[in-house]
Amino acid sequence: MLNIQRLGLSINGQTLLDDVSFTVEPGETLCIVGESGSGKTSLLKSIQGLMPAYFEGISFQGDRQAEIRQKGQWRGPIGMPGSRWVMQDPIAALNPKIPLGQSISESLYRRSMPKMDVDAAVRQALLDVELNPDVATRLPSEVSMGQAQRACLARALIANPSLILFDEPLSALDAVVQKQIAATMKRIQLKYEIMYLIVTHDLGFASAYADQVMVLKNGKVEANQTAADFFHDPASPYCRDLVLAARALGSLSGPAIPSSYERGADV
Amino acid sequence: MTSIETGHDHLQPQSKPSRTTINRRFKRSTLLMPLAVAAIWCSALMLTPYDPNATNFLLRLSPPSSEHWFGTDQLGRDVATRVLYGGLWSIGLALVITSVGAVIGTIIGLTAGHFGRAADVVLMRVSDSFFAFPELIAAVTIAGLLGPSTSNMVFALIAVSWMKYARLVRSLSVSISNKDYVLQARLNGLPPALILSRHILPNVLPNLLVLWTNGWSRSILSISGLSFLGFGVQPPNAEWGAMLLDGKTYMQTAPHLMIFPGLAILFAVLAINLTGDRLRDRLDGR
Repeated sequence: MLNIQRLGLSINGQTLLDDVSFTVEPGETLCIVGESGSGKTSLLKSIQGLMPAYFEGISFQGDRQAEIRQKGQWRGPIGMPGSRWVMQDPIAALNPKIPLGQSISESLYRRSMPKMDVDAAVRQALLDVELNPDVATRLPSEVSMGQAQRACLARALIANPSLILFDEPLSALDAVVQKQIAATMKRIQLKYEIMYLIVTHDLGFASAYADQVMVLKNGKVEANQTAADFFHDPASPYCRDLVLAARALGSLSGPAIPSSYERGADV
Repeated sequence: MTSIETGHDHLQPQSKPSRTTINRRFKRSTLLMPLAVAAIWCSALMLTPYDPNATNFLLRLSPPSSEHWFGTDQLGRDVATRVLYGGLWSIGLALVITSVGAVIGTIIGLTAGHFGRAADVVLMRVSDSFFAFPELIAAVTIAGLLGPSTSNMVFALIAVSWMKYARLVRSLSVSISNKDYVLQARLNGLPPALILSRHILPNVLPNLLVLWTNGWSRSILSISGLSFLGFGVQPPNAEWGAMLLDGKTYMQTAPHLMIFPGLAILFAVLAINLTGDRLRDRLDGR
């Protein structure tokens, strides 16, 4: 379980995040939506200790390091152990000079493992993300965007995390690949019971895969509801506008245009 | 290739020839010509019947002939042999100077970029102040102050050439260290030394290589220039610039004394520059 209490972040006197609290249950997905500049990515960075955020409390899976950070500013090494981060642009997130397998196994750096075990783990992670294990020897420039994002997912997965943060994981991909990778993400979540914290612009995706939806606006939590509630009974006029706008654009299932994602499909 | 049966197209790696094979082919053809030249040069060095420093006063200033292909100089030495041996000095010393300069510059650039603001400010201001002097004039001054000798010239040329590399490495490595894959490595707990050697250096290297070949050919010109002015390789050693200096007195009567070393400089610089250009094209073509 991940529990964040009253997270705040201000840089140069400008408040980027204010009083953000939420809880993610094991095996559940929290989608964070909001317009550009609402602090979505800053929130992910704060959780990873990359930004000087303040916490009233943060607890994560009984992890000792996180408990030390009970109160006050995040100090010490960056990165929350037991969690991994999948970024928006898979090509930028992979070193162009080293093969995918090596990038993936880097995730195991903190554990000293014999090379054979590492290779086996890389192979298993690639199979989990539905890639041919042969791509381990390829460079990022030799695979498609979708394959690269799957490799990034494998890099997160190989560390056996209980939480994966996604920063718009699908927005660099075309619609068909988006759908396939979204389905893979769901399968992995069901298999390993991983918590997902997904920043997204795509309410259609959120409606299909989120258990909980949190709306950020100007660094504040505008709404934090279960997905069912959010899409049928939005908590505020702003959320209502968001849902209506998405419905009008056709990315949400409505009577006129079907959603590109269907709940429970492909799993 | 083992393929798993899943019925999904995205599981299969693309079947076009792998990019690495194409790269390898390219690399071979880029390196083939310089290697061939080096091989021909080495065999010529071994096959020549003359000693580069053996004098023969009966054959002073003789024009090119079947015995002495490039003629002989004012001491009756075989110019062809001296041009071949001179290349060892010119190209070899230039290689040493550029490589040492590149290594020093890389270390300084990495230190400036990754070990704190104080180091950055100090090292970059120092390199700026070195940049403030025209390269060759500064080298002449240093070599002149230390006295004319080969090792002083090498020192002088290294002292005026490391800054280019330091600047390039600093700016590139700082921009690379902001990339997402470096952030991922940091989150995964890789120590800074491993991040430098694994993520930053390999991505700086292609650009460094291009600058290095460029610096190599410029160093040949600098060495020849300094030797021509008398600050570099000292007689009786054959060096292209020194040979030009020797031949200057006889320019009217025996022009072959200057033509052949001059052509050697021209072709060496041209060959290295063209190789550098091809390298650049190859690396840009990614």
